[in-house]
Parts: sequence; structure tokens; C-alpha cells
Amino acid sequence: MTQKNDIRWLPGFNWVTLFFFLFLYLPLFILVVFSFNASRSATVWSGFSLEWYVKAFANDDIQRATKNSLIIAVFSTTFATTMATMAALTLSRNRAVKRKNLFGGVLILPLMVPEIVTAVATLTFFSAIGLSLGLGNIIIAHSVFCIPFAYLPIRARLDGMDENLEAAARDLYSNKWATLRLVTLPLLMPGIVSGAMLAFIISLDDFIITLMVAEAGSTTLPIYIYSLVRVGITPEVNAISTVLLGVSVLIVTVSYLVGNKK
Amino acid sequence: MTSAIGLNGLQKTYPGSPPVRALRNADLTINDNEFFTLLGPSGCGKTTLLRLMAGFEVPTAGELTLFGDDIAHLPPEKRPINTVFQHYSLFPHMTVLENITFGLKRLRKPDAEAKRVAQEMLDLVHLSDFSARKPDQLSGGQQQRVALARALAPQPRVLLLDEPLSALDLKLRQSMRAELKRLQRDTGITFVFVTHDQEEALAMSDRIAVMSQGEIQQVGDPATIYEFPENRFVAEFIGDADFFEAETLGGTSYKLPNGETITGPQTKAAIGAKVTLFFRPEKATLKRAGNGLSGRVSDILYLGNSTDYVVELVQGGSLTVRSENHKDGTAIAEVGSDVVVEIDPAAVRVLSA
Repeated sequence: MTQKNDIRWLPGFNWVTLFFFLFLYLPLFILVVFSFNASRSATVWSGFSLEWYVKAFANDDIQRATKNSLIIAVFSTTFATTMATMAALTLSRNRAVKRKNLFGGVLILPLMVPEIVTAVATLTFFSAIGLSLGLGNIIIAHSVFCIPFAYLPIRARLDGMDENLEAAARDLYSNKWATLRLVTLPLLMPGIVSGAMLAFIISLDDFIITLMVAEAGSTTLPIYIYSLVRVGITPEVNAISTVLLGVSVLIVTVSYLVGNKK
Repeated sequence: MTSAIGLNGLQKTYPGSPPVRALRNADLTINDNEFFTLLGPSGCGKTTLLRLMAGFEVPTAGELTLFGDDIAHLPPEKRPINTVFQHYSLFPHMTVLENITFGLKRLRKPDAEAKRVAQEMLDLVHLSDFSARKPDQLSGGQQQRVALARALAPQPRVLLLDEPLSALDLKLRQSMRAELKRLQRDTGITFVFVTHDQEEALAMSDRIAVMSQGEIQQVGDPATIYEFPENRFVAEFIGDADFFEAETLGGTSYKLPNGETITGPQTKAAIGAKVTLFFRPEKATLKRAGNGLSGRVSDILYLGNSTDYVVELVQGGSLTVRSENHKDGTAIAEVGSDVVVEIDPAAVRVLSA
């Protein structure tokens, strides 16, 4: 074997890596496979069927929860992306702002804060100010924690952009707003789309914060799935989860591709 | 002559501890229809001065005029001045044509006129067939031409060029020099060119301002700057120079530290004053024997069209002599040869010490 002589080869590491991949993806694989199971069992295979998907889609509660999730995700993505774009432009371009690195760090700090802490803090804050807007509460909470996710790809894109492009636009008779509209935003768009998609997924999948701040009637899809699981795992849960997984993978992939566009 | 750009006590200081005085008290007049070069090493303030003219920076103090009008505090879009950026900075999401018409459209020129002018500009820079391409489908030299066309299209009163040739390879750089000179002549627009390359500056400019440490050291045409530098920095930065410390003996005689005398130009300095003498290495002659400073060749640098001989002088110190190579290709001297350096008094210059 020539591999033994390869100066970069480490014995046994291949197997560990393989095990890691299995551990990561086998549970997901089983979930997807059993969502197509013909019988009610979530552990014994008895033939292919789309029955559970049909049932899931026809379920009123699931429809309501999906609708809630989508409304929340769309609004909070819009708010979070707008604010993240403005913050990124300020922290990357405004020369009057001192300690940009500190502000940038603080802005993405919520990514490191345990979600349960944020959840409790948000709940306490909302009840302290007596906020009760139904879905509005969740939209506000989601907008806030989605900002750092939207901010990162936008900021990265902006940092990789030649500042002289904006100077060139100014030089060629464009004022601040025309420069933003004609040069900065079009060039920033891949970062903005990528950030928005990331925010959308984070909002769609969120469980802990939503559970804390959701009022009666504001059930989202992840919370509904959780309530089903408590009763027992059914292929119906598998089916909804598979759909959610598919949507997530699709959006994250598109976000990655758009974000890395030249 | 009309003044295109005037600086009067122009200053730029960047805050910090300590504050950076990027430009100290600059006074300068750039004439209309002139190819003017700001020359200096990096950090000398030449780019700061260019950015002040473009409006990307606001001066800390002083006046900046464009054909007599004060423009120091106008934003860049209100100045009829355009810039060619060092790395071109073409808009990557627009085609070549869209890049060139960008300024014209912002000036609210009708579409038809913008297209016609852009076509003229493309012809001017020999890129007529490339109008539909995106900048990343062009070579460096072609991007450079598009950047020129984009900046020239709105017919600015002054064109600023920020080291536009530094990213090109040698051959292309040389052909672009001639091209830029031609463009300046054909358009009649005042060019302000920033470079750290003294050869480029000498070859292209009508006049040069040599800058160092935020100050303008000397302004003059290329020959004056090269032949009669006003101080040691200019003499050293432009071309090569051999320096001597000497004492004036009155008239045209100077005493070297070892006691020998050397003949140079008349000086106004008092007898006994310390001065610095210098000459250009190509203006001394290397001989096997004769009158002059004797020494021994310690090093030889072959440059193709000429050769630099480093001579260790018998009385101490060393100097460099640049000599054309013999027609038959043989060397004038070898390392270790005993030689005499003849210096024509007309080639010696006096710098105030």
C-alpha cells in the first residue's frame, strides 16, 4: 500500500470519520425512510406508501401551524435582514463610528448566548412591558435573534467589496443614495439573499424561544410536532419532519450557492 | 496660462495619537491642459492630495480651487473631476458600455448622446468590440482602458490618475505611457498623475511635483528636476546620485575632506561653508589613467545598455560611475582594476548642506 508511506496519513482516522458521518446522518435517514412506511409502526418496514404525507397535509392543525410558521418567518426575515443590512453598512463603511470591531462582536454575540437564556429573557421582557400581540410577539422575538444570522453573510460580502467602487460612483456624479441604489446594494445582493435565507430557516426551525413567547393560538410547526411526539411517534410526524428537513436543506443550499457567487 | 487646480496652504491631518499629518501646507498651481505628476515614495502624501482633489477627503485647512472656484468642500459628485483608480474599480455588475455611460447617465445626458460618446471613448481606447463584455472577461490592460474611457466620457475639466500603470506588466506599462500622453494631447484635459515610479514621471510629465513626508519638495519640468534638484531628497529619489561633503574655497573651488580640491559651479555660499556636492553617475568618466579621483573598481553591475562601476577612492569613500558599454561589447574595467574618475565641472551641482 502506498498510503502507508503518505506523510499525511494517520492510521484509523478514516474509520472514525466514517462512523461520524453515520452517526450524523443515519437517524435522519431512518426518519425519512419510515415516513414512507405503509404501516403505523415507526420501527418495522412493511412497504412503500404516501399515506402519511396525504394525512399530514390534510390535517387542519398542521395547516394552521404551517401557516403561522410561514407568516412569522416571512415577517421576521424581512425585519432582520433590513436591520442587518443597515448595521453592516454602518459598521463597515461609516468612518465616524469608533470601535467597529467591538460593536460587530457584540452584534453577533447572541449566537453564543444559550438560547434558553434568551428565551427566558424575552419572555420576562414581554410580560414586563405587557406586550401581547399574538403572532406579533413571536415575530418580534424572531426578528431579534435572526439579525446576527442575517448579518454575517452580508458583512462578509461587504468586507470583500472594493470600497473604491463606491468612491467611483460618487466620482461619476452619483450622490449617496444613488450610489447605494446603483452600486452598493446590487453588489451586496448575494450577501443579502444569503442572509435572508439563513434568517428564514432559523425562524422556521426555532423551538425554544417560540415555546416561551407563544400565546394560545400561535402554535408553530416545530411546537406542533413536539406536541405530537409527546403522544407517540407516528409516521405522520416523520412525514412533516421530512418536509421541514427538505425545505431547510433546499434553502440552506441556495443560500450557500448565492452567498458564494462572485 | 490658466490655473486648472490651485492649492493654497492645503492641509490634511488624520486624527489619532499622534495625529497623522498626511499633507502639510501645500501650495501648488496646476496649469490647464497640462500633464502634471505627483511623484514620491509611498506615504509621501501624493494619494491623499489626489483624494482631496477628487473630493473623497475633506481638507483640514487651506484652499482648493478648480479654475478659480473654491471646491474644497464640494462632494465628489459636484466636481467636474473624474478619477482612474489604481485597481480600476470597474463596476463588476455592469457591462463595459454601462460602465462608460454611467457618468453620462448620472449627468442626465440623453441615452442617444451617452451611447454616442461611449462609442467615441471605446474607439479612443481601441476597445470598440468589447462593449458588451463584463469587466471580469477583460485582461488587466483592457480593464485599464475601460477605466480611462469611463473617467473621460463625462469630459471632466481635470482627470486624476492614481498609479494606474502599477498593476500592469513592464511591456504593457511602457506602451500605456505613450497612450496616456497621446490621450492627454488629444483631449486637452488636464491630467494629474500619481506615481512612485520616477522613470514614468520623467517620461510622461510636462511638470512634476516631488513629494516627501507630506510636503512638496520641488516643482518643475522633468529636466529641471533631474538636472537641478533643490535638495538631497529630490536628487536621491530621481535617478542615481553620487554625493560629496565639501567646503567652499570661493569661486569654483571646493575642498574635499581629505584636502583635495575639486572644481564645480559658482556658489553663493560663504567661503568655508559646508556644502554637499553631487553629480549623476553617467556624467563622470571612467579612465585607466588621467586627471581626477583615483581609485579601484570594487563592484560591477551590468545593466545591458550601460554598466555601473563602484569605485573605492584612494582617499576613502566610494562613488558610482555609469558608463556606456564599448561598441564591441568588451568591459571598460574589471573588478580590482585601478582607475581614475574624471568629473566634468559642468556636471557638479551644489546642494545647500
